[in-house]
Parts: sequence; structure tokens; C-alpha cells
Amino acid sequence: MSAPAALKVKDLHKSFGLHEVIKGVSLEAQKGEVIAILGASGSGKSTFLRCINLLETPNSGEVWLAGEQMRMTQNRRGEIVPQDLRQVEAMRARLAMVFQGFNLWSHMTVMENVMEGPLYVQGTPKAQAREKAEALLAKVGLSDRADYYPAHLSGGQQQRVAIARALAMDPDVMLFDEPTSALDPELVGEVLGVMRDLAEEGRTMLVVTHEMGFARDVSTRTVFLHQGEVCEEGPPAELFSNPQTPEFQAFLSRMN
Amino acid sequence: MNLLLEYQSQLIDGTIMTIKLALTSLGIALFFGLLGAWAKLSHNRLAQRLAGAYTTIVRGVPDLVLILLVFFGGQVTLNNIGAATGLWGYIEVSQFAAGAGTIGVIFGAYFTETFRGAIMAIPRGQIEAGISCGMRKSLIFRHIIWPQMIRFALPGFTNNWLVQLKTTALVSVIGLQDLVYNAFTAGRSTGQLFTFMAAAFVIYLLLTGISDLLLRAVERRYNRGMVRA
Repeated sequence: MSAPAALKVKDLHKSFGLHEVIKGVSLEAQKGEVIAILGASGSGKSTFLRCINLLETPNSGEVWLAGEQMRMTQNRRGEIVPQDLRQVEAMRARLAMVFQGFNLWSHMTVMENVMEGPLYVQGTPKAQAREKAEALLAKVGLSDRADYYPAHLSGGQQQRVAIARALAMDPDVMLFDEPTSALDPELVGEVLGVMRDLAEEGRTMLVVTHEMGFARDVSTRTVFLHQGEVCEEGPPAELFSNPQTPEFQAFLSRMN
Repeated sequence: MNLLLEYQSQLIDGTIMTIKLALTSLGIALFFGLLGAWAKLSHNRLAQRLAGAYTTIVRGVPDLVLILLVFFGGQVTLNNIGAATGLWGYIEVSQFAAGAGTIGVIFGAYFTETFRGAIMAIPRGQIEAGISCGMRKSLIFRHIIWPQMIRFALPGFTNNWLVQLKTTALVSVIGLQDLVYNAFTAGRSTGQLFTFMAAAFVIYLLLTGISDLLLRAVERRYNRGMVRA
């Protein structure tokens, strides 16, 4: 029997009110895979990512992390809720997320931002957490900014700190929610560079993005979402050179 | 000046009473303020409505009316309930409890709005970042919400506190011997009202001045990472 997928999502549905945003999406990521998720705005790609770590609660569907299922149940009002919040929290810690808006904690220095998770969620001793944070900041090229506050950094620098903060949790899978969409064009490269390095290291990554170049060159598999469903999926070389559906063709021509 | 020295113990006692009253009612106000802000931001409809009624009623009625209502009406009501149910005998509401309690509850309504605004000023994404790291709610509250809430609440807090400190002067109408009461009594008995009220004026200014300095120091401490616009 082969090892279970690093991440498995099965038949995920999500509605906001009467509007169904995700209409049954399934996805499997093996360890070391980099999956780029493309789609027009409103295609549900960000919502899909946010359902995986339960920032949004899906209406139905399963999420498995390395063979462990996130257990959900219905409460008395019929809403879907975590069966065991502690389990969900433990799984979230293994699913690091990088946000479009960086979301660094503005009252903490760069160093404190990166140390927070290991120190207080994982209970790592302080000296060890600091050492790790220093190594990660060096990795994203921000060793000299450790004592700065987020407000004093550029967008690209903030996003690199956010990536270091995510890495500090030693996640099994990293979720990137449009990590370069809020950046000035000249800052996009430095963030994509760091993400490229992570892909080469063999990190398992789900990347919701508008960066066609990144999807084409770095992802091992590209998924195109259209109106809440997987429209096309496959190795990027095939997908980009030979789009099958009119929806993906139209999307590609708009992006280029 | 000699006159003031002669009556200094009364002025000092009055000042101490004013400070005690202000600090006790501040504690009560902070409790109600945090509770109110929590209720207003909770998903519980009933809690939201109760908090809404609380702030609407309290902020819509003069402080003096509430103090007189609680002190004179409260005692009668309490004893009527006690007599009707047989659960307790005659209770005398102390002036201090009535004064501190009422001022605390009144300013709790103002603090409710201050804290609610401060919590809402924290970018939602920072809380999501905590959630997605696997933090528990209590950790998110202590490490992300609380320090930033304090920072956003401080200007409003300072304002509320200064008004609250001055509002304690109203308790002299229910006979509590605070700074105003003692200064007024001394002034009348010596026929030197101006002198004693001027002394009260200076003492209040000192108290608010010291508060302002202290709170500014706290503000500097919590301003970490904040960019001045």
C-alpha cells in the first residue's frame, strides 16, 4: 500500500446563503507536489483554500491530512462544526497559510512574528525557537530586518516574513492564497523566488495564484477552477499548450 | 492660606475619597465595558440586545438622575423585594456603594463603545493568521487581540477616565464626603467659599494632570509597531 496523500480533499461543497461557491471539488496532493490553482475572480479558488483549514466551514466534503481526517459533525441547529476543536487546531498547525494581505501581527517585530507559533502553539523552547526563526529569516533574505515592525517593511518583505512565519510551523502542506496579488509589480519577483526555492526543496504546496509563469514553470500540476468546479487539471506543460475547454482557453487569452 | 491649612485634613480626606471612588468605579466600568463589548460582538442575539439596551439607556439619561434614582430608589426597591420574598432583612445602601456602582455602570456603557471600536479596529486578517497557525481562541485573545485592543482603546480610555474622575463630584449630592462636599462644607462654615472651591479646582487639575501623564506613558508602551499617520 502506498503512503496516504499529503492532502486529500473529497467532494467539497460550500455555499454562502443560497449561492453555491464550491460545487464538489476533489483534489489530492502527494508529498512534494506543487499544485497551482487558477481561475477567474469569483471562481471560488480562495474559498476552496480557506475551506481546507476551516477558515470557512464547508457545507460538506472531507479533508484528509496524511491519512487523518478532519472530523466534522452537525450541531443542534444543523450547522457543520468541528467535532473536536483541538484536532482541528492541531491540523491547522500542520497546514500553514500565507495570505494575500500578509496579515503579520503589527504589534510584534519580525522576529516575534516568526517565533510566535513555535513558542506558543508548539511549545518549542525559546532559544530553539529563536535559532529556527533566525535561520528562516536568513532563508527569506531578511536577517537584517529581525527587529523591525511589519509597518516598516515593504509589501514584498512582509510577505517573505509571512512565509518564514508559515515555515516556522514545519507544516506538512503550505497554502498560498494569492500571495503576490497585493504587491507592487516590482516586488512580485522576490516573493515568487522564495516560493520557487520552497518548491525545489520538495515542500507540498497549494498555490492559488494569478501568476501564469509560476504555474507553468514551478507547479507539478495545475488545476483550473471555473464557477466552483474543476474545469481542467493536469501537468502544466500539457495544460497550457493544449487547453481543452473553451473556458480555460478564454481564461488564458485574457491573462496573456 | 492659613485657612486651608486649618482645614487640610478635610481636604485630604475628601481627595482620598474622590480617588477611591474614581478607582472603584473605574474597575466596575472596565468590567461592564469588556462585558458589553464582548456581548455586542458575540453572535448571541440576546447578548447583543441586552448590551444594546444597556448602552442606549445609560447614555441617554443624565448621570445625576441615575445616581439619585439608584441611591433613593434602589434602597426602597431592594427592601421591598426583601420584604416580599423574605430572602433578606432591612438593607441600607451605602453612599459609597451606590455612588461607585452607579458611576461604574454609567461609564461601563461608554467603555463598551470604546472597547468595541478598538476590537473592530484590529484587522480581521491578523486573527485569521492566528487561527491558521492552530492557535486556540484564548491565545489569540491574549496575544493578538488584547495588546492591540489596548492600543486602539487608549485615547478613548483616557477621555472616559478624565470625565469619570470629574463625574465623581456628583456623589456629593447623596452626602458622600468627597472633595467637593468637604470643600463646600468648609467654605460655607468659614464664609470663604471662593478659597475652598479654588483649592478643589487645583486638586482636580492635579489629579487629571497626573492621570494624563501616566496614560501617555502607557500609550508609548503600547504604541509598538504603530505607524503615526
